[in-house]
Amino acid sequence: MDVYDIVVIGAGPGGYPAAIRAAQLGAKVAIVEREYFGGTCLNWGCIPTKVFAGVASLVHQVRHKCNTGIRVQGIEVDYPALFQHKERVVHQLRNGVKQLLQAHGVNIVTGNGRFVDPHTIEVQSEGQRTCLTAKRVIIASGSTSLIPPQIPQHERIVDSRGFLALQQLPASLLVIGGGYIGCELACIAAVAGVRVTIVEMLDDVLTILDPDVRREVRSFMENILGIKIITGTKIEELDVPGTEVRVKTGNGEIVTDMVLVATGRKPVTDGLDIEKAGVKTDGRGFVIVDDYGRTNVGNIYAVGDVTGRMQLAHYATSQGLTVAENACKLTLQRFETVVPSVIFTIPEAASVGLTETMAKAEGRDVQIAKFRFGGLGRAVAAAETMGFVKLITDPGTDQLLGAAVVGPHATELIAELTVAVRAEITAKELASTIHAHPTFSEAWMEAAHAVHGLCVHAPPKKR
Amino acid sequence: MAKPIMMPKFGQMTEVSTIVEWKKKEGDRVSRGDILFTVETDKSVMEVEAFVEGVLLKIVVPAGVSVPVNTIVGFIGEPGEPVPDVKPFGVDSQQAKEVPQKKEIAYVMAADAAQAKVVGTGGLVTPQPLLTASGQVETPPAPAVSPRARALARRLAIDVSKVKGSGPGGRVTEKDVLGYARDRGYTNLKITPAALELARREGIDVLEVIGTGSGGRITVEDVRRAIAEKPQPLSRMRQTIAARLTQSFTTQPHFYVTVGVDVTDLIEFRNKIKSQGAPYTVTDFVIQAVVVALQEFPEVNSSTDGHTVRRHQHVNIGLAVAVEGGLVVPVIRYAECKSMYEIAMEAKQLAEKARLGKLTPDEMSGGTFTISNLGMHNVDVFHAIINTGEGAILAVASAKLQPAVKDGQIVPRWLMNLTLSGDHRLIDGVTGARFVNALKSKLEDISLWQRLCVW
Repeated sequence: MDVYDIVVIGAGPGGYPAAIRAAQLGAKVAIVEREYFGGTCLNWGCIPTKVFAGVASLVHQVRHKCNTGIRVQGIEVDYPALFQHKERVVHQLRNGVKQLLQAHGVNIVTGNGRFVDPHTIEVQSEGQRTCLTAKRVIIASGSTSLIPPQIPQHERIVDSRGFLALQQLPASLLVIGGGYIGCELACIAAVAGVRVTIVEMLDDVLTILDPDVRREVRSFMENILGIKIITGTKIEELDVPGTEVRVKTGNGEIVTDMVLVATGRKPVTDGLDIEKAGVKTDGRGFVIVDDYGRTNVGNIYAVGDVTGRMQLAHYATSQGLTVAENACKLTLQRFETVVPSVIFTIPEAASVGLTETMAKAEGRDVQIAKFRFGGLGRAVAAAETMGFVKLITDPGTDQLLGAAVVGPHATELIAELTVAVRAEITAKELASTIHAHPTFSEAWMEAAHAVHGLCVHAPPKKR
Repeated sequence: MAKPIMMPKFGQMTEVSTIVEWKKKEGDRVSRGDILFTVETDKSVMEVEAFVEGVLLKIVVPAGVSVPVNTIVGFIGEPGEPVPDVKPFGVDSQQAKEVPQKKEIAYVMAADAAQAKVVGTGGLVTPQPLLTASGQVETPPAPAVSPRARALARRLAIDVSKVKGSGPGGRVTEKDVLGYARDRGYTNLKITPAALELARREGIDVLEVIGTGSGGRITVEDVRRAIAEKPQPLSRMRQTIAARLTQSFTTQPHFYVTVGVDVTDLIEFRNKIKSQGAPYTVTDFVIQAVVVALQEFPEVNSSTDGHTVRRHQHVNIGLAVAVEGGLVVPVIRYAECKSMYEIAMEAKQLAEKARLGKLTPDEMSGGTFTISNLGMHNVDVFHAIINTGEGAILAVASAKLQPAVKDGQIVPRWLMNLTLSGDHRLIDGVTGARFVNALKSKLEDISLWQRLCVW
């Protein structure tokens, strides 16, 4: 029986980069996957939603730029064709991952892995059993939608994965949960012509964003996309008497063709028998790891959603690389701490580092500076003037602690500030850095000048 | 004429005090009984109230400056009244180091009457006019640094005092700073912009910071660590502790003798009377045993300066009490005249006051013997340092259930170790051994306690 240096469980955005990096470092690596390469992100998450979001954004732009010199007649979303396109994209990327793993000499084992002991993984696949002996194991088994127990199982009630598998969209959709998954899918559906309602238990949607940032997104979703958003309301009862779903909420009944449940995610540890390895989990089943990705068992690490930290594909990837290096070189590198969040609503929003809300909660004194895209030549030229960028700085050292952006290309723009925050750049340096004209990224420079009250393209602050 | 406000004298021992905070500003109306300022002595924080009316005309000694007692700290009078000319006095060296740019000068004047009284829980202490000789300490003159050199060093976040000057009289020039920075490898230093900014602001020498970022780059976190490691002045209380214990440990030759006391019967006795409502703790029994034993061993209840010996005629028991940031030692005076109940109650009150920071200086002085009890902190044995000026201290460890030999049998018993630290100039080994054994036999003698603690 072969002894592997590293066995990775799960080939999602946390697992496959970990396997490849370990192989690059000379380890003998096996990866266990029970479904598809690329995990949730590639198959039922980030990637397929971006196929839809890209089209939705384009369609929306075409519709709303009639007065800027485009005339289009009869634009509509061909959902079945779009669905086929999504399938092609997913296939291509999935194969890409597989080829990369193979090219790096990672042994691919298909099937359901489970721990026999801390060093032995048994993989079951169609009656076949394979036993892998591992010096070290990286758990990267991911997460799945958390469906509240009171919600019945029915084909008209779907989670994000089920929604992305639909070949045809319903006429009306109720989204339970106003987090980023719920809001992204709501925007896609609304542009495709679906009547969408969002019900959120909290007082607002997208609460990971600062109030001023999310207000911009919410008002656009409500006023332009026509999405009905009901906040501070609980779902009390849900049943499917015929071809429609009846949903009783705290303030009235809603009748809809379909319900999308987007109320959060839970770890995937079923069938993994991690207790046989002695790995500890928290009350909600997430594997507990320290800042180096170590579980309580010496040779077992965990990365990604299963650890219950920020559930983001790029964070999982970063963790995977860190852990692979820690496991192979026996170093102690910490997980990165500067993690950008990107939200593909219409308009897009993104943030990194400290938010104003977090600073307030910590009682930390910060300085806030904003610049609206309406003051930017490029944005005016492109007729994309809604939204703004926002900087959060330390008044003492001028350090950039955080940034947020809502508006055109927000998810791309956040990259610059991710570098800046991680590199501990000051607002003064960001302001002094020449930003190419005319680009959307100039907004950061203007906001950085605004930190010191020296913004050229904004009227002076009233005293 | 404007009336001077004096720094009052708090108790017998206090010679220097620090104003923590002025509660009134210059120009404020002051009524009799208003709190003027708070003062930190070497032991506690006290409030000082005015007992003349008028307007606070001038604050002579600002907050944060230590001055001898009876220094004039300010003037009260009617608006427009001239403030008398006072001649500059000394500057407390500690404070001077902390505020190098701003020289604080205190003024003193031989005054006829003190114009403030102390409000403490202990009541009124009459200030006694007294001029202390000096609070002045010579500081070596720092080498001259040119303003440009200083500005450059600040911009680079390096410590200019480490730069060797080449100018006249060793004056540090801009060129010297540049050369120093180059020699120390400043050009190769990797530091994030925010970290440099923070280092400048906090006066951290970046050449002394070890970078832990990628490629050894100095990050904000590294500078934060350096800030946290910067030597901070000890609190007034810790400075007092440091001075006293160092004095004791370096001038009084300590020796130690330990005895194990079987407190099984005592605990049983105590639990019995406790169930009847008696308030005694095990410590109260130890205090009482010490009070009795000290009267039998006058050489332990003594103090010496190495030339003379003073046999104390009262038993004043100091109790070491842990408080936030250090410890204080309130004293039960004339314990030999008090009943066990009185002693127990006073010990409780003093400990409570100590924890609230309300002890007056007089309540913390005059001890002849101290007891330090770590019984509640699970220790087998420990050695205490004599409270300076006293002859001995008793360290009380935890009572623990242990195997003991009684009547030839091994039985579980509650055993507690007592360790005497004695000043060997006064107390020899045999005396120490006899003293701790006297304590042991008293604590193990239940008939004694049946007599002593009537309940």
